[in-house]
Amino acid sequence: MRIQNHPILNFEKGEEIKFYFDGKQISAFKGETIAAALHAAGVKVLGKSLFKHRPRGFYCAIGNCSACSMVVNGEANVRTCVTMVQEGMIVETQKGKGEIL
Amino acid sequence: MIKAADVVIIGGGIIGCSIAYNLAKKGVKNIAVIEKDYLASGATGRCGAGVRQQWGTEMNCRLAMESIKFYENANEELKYDGDIEFKQGGYLIVSSTDKEYEQFSKNVKLQKSLGIDVEQISPQEAKEIVPYLNADIITSATFCPKDGHLNPFLATDAYAKAARRLGANIYTYTKVIGIKTSDSKITGVITDKGEIATNIVVNAAGGFSKIIGDMVSIDLPVYSERHQILVTEPVEPTQKPMVMSFSLNIYCQQTPHGSFIMGRGDDTEPRDLRRTSSWQFLDEMSKTVTKLLPPLGNLRVIRQWGGLYNITPDKQPILGSVKELDGFYVAIGFSGHGFMLAPITGLLLAENILGEKTTIDISMLDKDRFNRGELVLEPSVV
Repeated sequence: MRIQNHPILNFEKGEEIKFYFDGKQISAFKGETIAAALHAAGVKVLGKSLFKHRPRGFYCAIGNCSACSMVVNGEANVRTCVTMVQEGMIVETQKGKGEIL
Repeated sequence: MIKAADVVIIGGGIIGCSIAYNLAKKGVKNIAVIEKDYLASGATGRCGAGVRQQWGTEMNCRLAMESIKFYENANEELKYDGDIEFKQGGYLIVSSTDKEYEQFSKNVKLQKSLGIDVEQISPQEAKEIVPYLNADIITSATFCPKDGHLNPFLATDAYAKAARRLGANIYTYTKVIGIKTSDSKITGVITDKGEIATNIVVNAAGGFSKIIGDMVSIDLPVYSERHQILVTEPVEPTQKPMVMSFSLNIYCQQTPHGSFIMGRGDDTEPRDLRRTSSWQFLDEMSKTVTKLLPPLGNLRVIRQWGGLYNITPDKQPILGSVKELDGFYVAIGFSGHGFMLAPITGLLLAENILGEKTTIDISMLDKDRFNRGELVLEPSVV
């Protein structure tokens, strides 16, 4: 999910940072969304569907479909496709509908 | 469509379906329920889905107690092939002013005298029931563990299926456009799909009940007013009871599905039939809920909708026959709590129509109480 060469646009890659996905350290670049960084790191399954528990991945990528909802720094139902990744962030696969407390 | 019926019920909400079921159960064969849209398309399907026994008048308490007793066994009673999802997580009603504190003391005394399992508790005790409640803004609470909520669509479906099984005819997408009378007697109902000859009509049209009254030139002392509700994204089970406040103007419950449903009223609403949504509601609702139940502020709203309260001057329903017109019965003006009173309403109307002694004396709920000045005002309505 990282465009290296674009015919018109010039992508300035941000500085490299680290965050955690289910306890595993992953590197990302500043200015990316969490989902983009996970995708680049080969993580294709972001969650499971509520009733049939089928894998859910990067789908709408604009914050509408909720397929990428994950637990970020303890907060459930974060749409990782529209949330910027930050240094030291703790991202976890969400089980179920999410806890609000 | 049948050509003649013993009883025609106007309105396919839970009230109409409950009346049809109770009449059919008592052996009435030719029943027609006329619904202009789909079943539960009006106030039933738009309501907050709660059922409580914590009322401020003896009549409302007794009607609610009987209804909850029914809902507890409704799946079996109605031989339903599904589940009406009745969950008794209680109602936690909080007071936020001294005046309200006093009203609650009176309410609890009345409710206890009728055998309702209810206690007035301190803000701290309320916090033990709902830990994230903002106890700083409340002065007390009342809690009845037997109150709860159920699914209005499924409950209506259960009644409708049971009524049909007993022979009742239910016509959806059929609109009543006139009622025929002769010498102060009902003779028939005209719909957009044909006419049905009948001597008995029950007005169970909810928010549209006044229009039905106008068809027979009876000025029913009710008006309709929009109330709005929103539903959030679902989360894991968090809140058992319905949390409610009259002074803060909020009720809020978590459905079995996990989404939170919350609503409030607005004194400045015009008295009309609009069921649209307003941004003002969303703005006020979110402010109120985040003040009383702060963690819910993190939830996203999925959608909002409006429905009609059909309101009487004393906030209690009008039930039974109407003396100006032979064969005209009403079950209207529930003032926002018809869904929870539907089981007993169906029974009382069936008894009233068949000339039996009613399980609860409903003579004080007749239409003419307002002419006599015999209003018993219900103080506990959102």
